[in-house]
Amino acid sequence: MSAKNNPTLAEQIEQLDALAAWFEQDDFDIEEAITKFEEASQVAESVKTKLSELENKITVLKQRFDTEA
Amino acid sequence: MEKTPISVSDAIALINQTLEYAYPVIVVEGEVSSFKINQSKFVFFDLKDASGTLPCFMMAMQLRTPLEDGMKIRVVAQPKLTNWGKFSLTVRDIKPIGEGSLKRSFELLLAKLQKEGLFEDSRKRLLPRMPQRIAVISSTQSAGYADFMKILNHRWGGLDVTVAHVTVQGIDAPKQIVRALEYLNQMSDVPDAIAIIRGGGSLDDLSAFNDEPLVRAIASSRAPVITGVGHEVDTSLADLAADVRAATPTNAAMLIVPDRHEMMWYADQRLKSIMVAMQTRVQQLKLRVIGTYEQHLQTIDRRFAELSRHVQLRTAFVAQLDPKLALQRGYSLLYDAAGSVITSAKVGDQVTIETKTTKLTAGVTYVSKK
Repeated sequence: MSAKNNPTLAEQIEQLDALAAWFEQDDFDIEEAITKFEEASQVAESVKTKLSELENKITVLKQRFDTEA
Repeated sequence: MEKTPISVSDAIALINQTLEYAYPVIVVEGEVSSFKINQSKFVFFDLKDASGTLPCFMMAMQLRTPLEDGMKIRVVAQPKLTNWGKFSLTVRDIKPIGEGSLKRSFELLLAKLQKEGLFEDSRKRLLPRMPQRIAVISSTQSAGYADFMKILNHRWGGLDVTVAHVTVQGIDAPKQIVRALEYLNQMSDVPDAIAIIRGGGSLDDLSAFNDEPLVRAIASSRAPVITGVGHEVDTSLADLAADVRAATPTNAAMLIVPDRHEMMWYADQRLKSIMVAMQTRVQQLKLRVIGTYEQHLQTIDRRFAELSRHVQLRTAFVAQLDPKLALQRGYSLLYDAAGSVITSAKVGDQVTIETKTTKLTAGVTYVSKK
């Protein structure tokens, strides 16, 4: 589940880490920085929304383990 | 009335049929004596108490717990008459009983598996920072499972959780857990981590987690295994073989997923660090632009001063050339009739002489060469 339009939480946190790392370099380009800053804001917002809304999907296997397969 | 005779083999088969019908399974407790393993395949021992002895047989691969003489055990077995006419119990399962035997069995297996390096730290794998798919092996009716799921759902979201329902205590528990582990490890999409969960219990209840095949299955799992067996004081061999040991089911949930509130804070911190970097960079660029501007201004100033000095010098020089200055100093200027300054004339010419204060017209009466 890593479609570009629907990245997972883990992928988005990684994206945020990568963006923050970009800003750690010396003499970064300010025009590019503005675009990246906007991107980081959107990702951080989406991460926070997902974290507050997402629920876990629980599946109990129908497979029985009390007898030999 | 005499019955029809049957062969020895048929008699053995008939007795075995009767035994199987009467006692398909018996559970017997006693003390082990004369324990031996033949050809690494066949296990023989006697089960005895104060007044009786029963010979027992089982396959070595079915032996899940180390045995030695003097241990008290409970066996699940089937009574059988062998082809040599000897009566024995064919053992299916063994469970050490009593604190002494449990401890001894634990120690023997611990030493054996330790020697094989099953508990080495170098074998341990890290759990993923943010798993997307985990599996839980537990009894869905247990309190430990409920605790685990409650904390898991509270802490994190968006997770696919596959639950394998098994019994987590009793003689069947290790087999079921091993089957569940095998099932999960054979899935095409192996989970990011597997949690084995149960609530607390006595040392006796925990013996399921000191089962050799289970310990081996944990050690050889493709997915990292975390145990939350719920016994803070005693460590099971399953705990030692697991990649991560959690003290309780709640603790296991805390170790397997991050906390959503902490992660929200983390995302905020990331964004803040980016903002600080942006501000620093803007300030840096501003200072650089001002610096360059001031540098240009200084260059212009310097150039302007140079030009001014140059103009002043030229003006002074040009001023020196002004003929009016010569008049001031007492010299005269000589013009012809047309008003042009002349430097020579001939006799008879009429010239105009300009002095500092007057202009006079004169006729040339004499000319001599200098």
